Amino acid sequence: MSRVFSSIYEKQILLNLTRSYAFKSDLKIKWVRPEKIPCIKPEKSGDLSPFPNIDKSQYLVEFRKSKELETANDYVKRLFTLQFNSRKCTTNFFIHQSMEQVKRHEFDSGSIETKLARWTGYIRAWQELMQRFPKDKRLKVCLKELIDKRKKHLKYLRRWDYKKFEWILDQLNIVYKPPPSEFRWVTRRESLVKLTDKYCEDIRKTKLDEYKALLEAEQPAFLEEKIRTLEFIRDEQKDCGVEQTVSEEEIEDVRKQLEELKAKRTVTVEI
Amino acid sequence: MSLPSLRKTSLLLGVCVPSLKKEASKFKIKRLELDPHLKMYFSKHEFIYAHDPNKQCKTGDIVLIESLRESLTKLISHRVKEIIYPYGDVTCPLTNKKVVGSKYREHIDAINKIYGERPGAFKYGEAPPRGWQEDKKDFSHAETYIKYHEDGTEQPYAV
Repeated sequence: MSRVFSSIYEKQILLNLTRSYAFKSDLKIKWVRPEKIPCIKPEKSGDLSPFPNIDKSQYLVEFRKSKELETANDYVKRLFTLQFNSRKCTTNFFIHQSMEQVKRHEFDSGSIETKLARWTGYIRAWQELMQRFPKDKRLKVCLKELIDKRKKHLKYLRRWDYKKFEWILDQLNIVYKPPPSEFRWVTRRESLVKLTDKYCEDIRKTKLDEYKALLEAEQPAFLEEKIRTLEFIRDEQKDCGVEQTVSEEEIEDVRKQLEELKAKRTVTVEI
Repeated sequence: MSLPSLRKTSLLLGVCVPSLKKEASKFKIKRLELDPHLKMYFSKHEFIYAHDPNKQCKTGDIVLIESLRESLTKLISHRVKEIIYPYGDVTCPLTNKKVVGSKYREHIDAINKIYGERPGAFKYGEAPPRGWQEDKKDFSHAETYIKYHEDGTEQPYAV
């Protein structure tokens, strides 16, 4: 009895000796922590095209159709171009352009598509400004809030009118990604667990593919063997005068199968 | 109080949720469970896979699903019977007219006509069916995750 107990006791000691915590895997998986991208960057906000280079020799938005400006002096004309006005005017010009692209009718300024176009214009202009003045915290806050607002309204539009949602994504060149189901901060351990799972899955898949290829390589030889055997059985049955169980059609079917397989092989080789 | 088994119920109404399975869609089914102490119902969500060979159901659709006599696989026990409300393309059940939010599409079009339609504006009749921006600009058909590893390849579903 005492021997039994001692053997159990020894096993427990052995179990205690193997360390389960701080366990270092000897798998060759390297984990690289992804770099943090600020939420105001175009990669995160989903803007695929930046603020464009606008021709500065154009008139201001308000004075484009002015008849008095057409007959005015050259100096006056130059004073009403974008070049001799503040940056805000260029931004307004761009916003006006993008709104014109998606407007429902001439007097439309409050529909969801025009709103989205206006916000997109501001976001792109401010993203460029943030690159020049990275310490401007007030602008950063405004920009983040506007990006979030646009995303929220895209979510609503998706629910109301999916076709328009897709159309507006295409028109304004924005990417929409839904929020993930759970928000967890990235840790080394969790990431390594996921990567190891993936690694094991890959190994399993490659092995299965290899085995499948091996079996497929054996198929023509097997079919030839089958034809030979079937023919042998048929001949034997004919010679002995027993009831025939193998029909000609059966053998023809196998032959057809073999031909199809060979044809498929040659096609794949040519490709 | 325990609910009766979901798998034995013949007809279910569920919301399609993103899944990458081929020939099957995943559905979230809301059930109300009674708490006998509080005398109050609490919602409980269960997930069921239904056979959908052409992947008709898109994320967010409200779909009627029917149980199969024998489950196809261990996972797939139902099949899609009818898509009742396609997501973002709702038809009013009383008037059989298309609806956007709280307005009829007809009314919106009539207002636009009075103001004068623009050539570049969105037209519902000419728009392609849902799904043409999938994997291009719209990534809502698959579940996204927080990026946890930088491997040099492009990860479209990472946020």
